[in-house]
Amino acid sequence: MPTMTVSGHQYDLDRRSVEAALQGVLPEPIQEHFVVINGRRWPPKQVLALVTGLDRADFTTHQARRALTRLGFSAARATSSSGHHPVASSAAGPLRPAVSGTAKRSESPVEALRPFIGLWVAVRGDEVLVAAPSAKEVVAWLAQHRQRAQSMFRLPDSEEVITGVAPQ
Amino acid sequence: MVDIALEGLPDAPMECLLDTGALRTRMSAELAPLAGIELSGVLTEQFYIGGLKTVGALARVGLTMADGTDEFSWDAPVWFCDPWPHPSGLEGFLHYFLVTINAYDGYLDLQPQP
Repeated sequence: MPTMTVSGHQYDLDRRSVEAALQGVLPEPIQEHFVVINGRRWPPKQVLALVTGLDRADFTTHQARRALTRLGFSAARATSSSGHHPVASSAAGPLRPAVSGTAKRSESPVEALRPFIGLWVAVRGDEVLVAAPSAKEVVAWLAQHRQRAQSMFRLPDSEEVITGVAPQ
Repeated sequence: MVDIALEGLPDAPMECLLDTGALRTRMSAELAPLAGIELSGVLTEQFYIGGLKTVGALARVGLTMADGTDEFSWDAPVWFCDPWPHPSGLEGFLHYFLVTINAYDGYLDLQPQP
């Protein structure tokens, strides 16, 4: 397990322990930088504060980003999105990649949403703002972080739900 | 797909399937308490949606669509369904919009008809 020094303290961290520490936690809004863990984007400082117990004032975003990329997590800088969604909308509302940098994504919209199958998601422009098991958690997250989604929906998790079945 | 905000949930518009063959507007019952909509004692009805049997509870609610500049709001009867298998068709919707489906160019145009 790699040992790293953050703000004068030494920590033994590896990918698995970081991923485990984030179970049940929702990512905060992405300001500029993010790291990709468990298929989601996380603010680097939120992650490092969670796994080390340090106050976020004790280290910078760049220190957090560097520490997490050393563990093998990809990192990138979010591009700004306008968030406007015309009433004249395109069918199926494609989600395009919203990142540039080391973790530039080239997957299809379907692949981008695959980690969130079975969850409620709130999206704005190209970006998945939050994903959670219930609409309540998504709405609470939006209110807590003063975010406004473009749309919210639940990603179906079974073939039956997608295609329908004959009435019983 | 169209994004429709339910009264009380302005920050989380729901992505809804515009189903020109559906008679009714339906949403997940999970949303009602989040928007402060009381469903106890209201009219209920059984539906089949995509072959799945569900129960809907009727409430008249305010709905809003926005394009970043303008907003259009209207009141519509909405059936809040549990279980909720997937996005819904819309009924109270088509009475309020001129809908143009352009499959060739791949867009849907909605013009409010107040």
